[in-house]
Amino acid sequence: MPTMTISGHQYNLESRSVEAALQGALPEPIHEHFVVINGRRWPPKQVLALVTGLDRADFTTHQARRALTRLGFPAGRAVRARARHPETSRAAAPPSGASGADGPAVPLAEALRPFIGLWVAVRDDDVLVAAPSPAEVVAWLAKHRQRAQSMFRVVGSEQAITSAAPQ
Amino acid sequence: MRFAFRALPSASGGALTPRPVVDIALEGLEVAPVACLLDTGALRTRMSAEIAPLAGIELTGDLTEEFYVGGVKTVGQLARVTLTATDGADGFSWDAPVWFCDPWPHPFGLAGLEGFLHHFLVTINAYDGYLEVEPEPWLQGA
Repeated sequence: MPTMTISGHQYNLESRSVEAALQGALPEPIHEHFVVINGRRWPPKQVLALVTGLDRADFTTHQARRALTRLGFPAGRAVRARARHPETSRAAAPPSGASGADGPAVPLAEALRPFIGLWVAVRDDDVLVAAPSPAEVVAWLAKHRQRAQSMFRVVGSEQAITSAAPQ
Repeated sequence: MRFAFRALPSASGGALTPRPVVDIALEGLEVAPVACLLDTGALRTRMSAEIAPLAGIELTGDLTEEFYVGGVKTVGQLARVTLTATDGADGFSWDAPVWFCDPWPHPFGLAGLEGFLHHFLVTINAYDGYLEVEPEPWLQGA
């Protein structure tokens, strides 16, 4: 279990406790840096603040990113997504990407894979947010002043789509 | 307006067959247009009832109908709403009857004859994976 000093405080962190701390939270918009945890992209500062209880002003993005990559979480930089949409995060790729690599262009279907069973809001090939209900999706959009291109529920089988036609 | 067919992930790997989907915004919920499957066989336009309150639509239950979707019994409540179809560049608005259904376990709403197809000229190019939607002339002048 790595011991880390952040903003003058010592923490014993492990990946499982980080994953547990994120339960029930939704990732905020990605501005540039992100880490991939449980198949989703998270702003490093949001994660470290949730895990440690520290104020985000007490540490930098790079400190947060370094702490989380030490725990084994892949990290990346949403360069291209940022260039197209200043406040848009590209969907999380499966957490197999190399640490520090730029986010790869992910076709929407693949970007949606971690979110099967959830409602999502998308813009182009970016998943803005995924949540169990459309109300949570819309609340997130309002809170972060985002506008989606489309909102729908992600399913994982042909039958789930074709059965939509009224019998 | 042009909409690329939309593919969802297959739980067993790869992607499902891309489907013709149009994004339709409800008045009051412009930040999150609802993806609707183009369904030339459907009489109604239907969406999840969960969407209605998010757009400030009160479902009074004055006019309801029961029907089966994929073997699931559901109840639709009628509301007249202003809809806007947009591909991000262009957008057209019209007043339409929409049936808000509960339960609605399906990925998309349904854009059917009444409420959608009666208002548009639709060209489906399934080979190239897109559909083009243009409003009827009377709607363009509205």
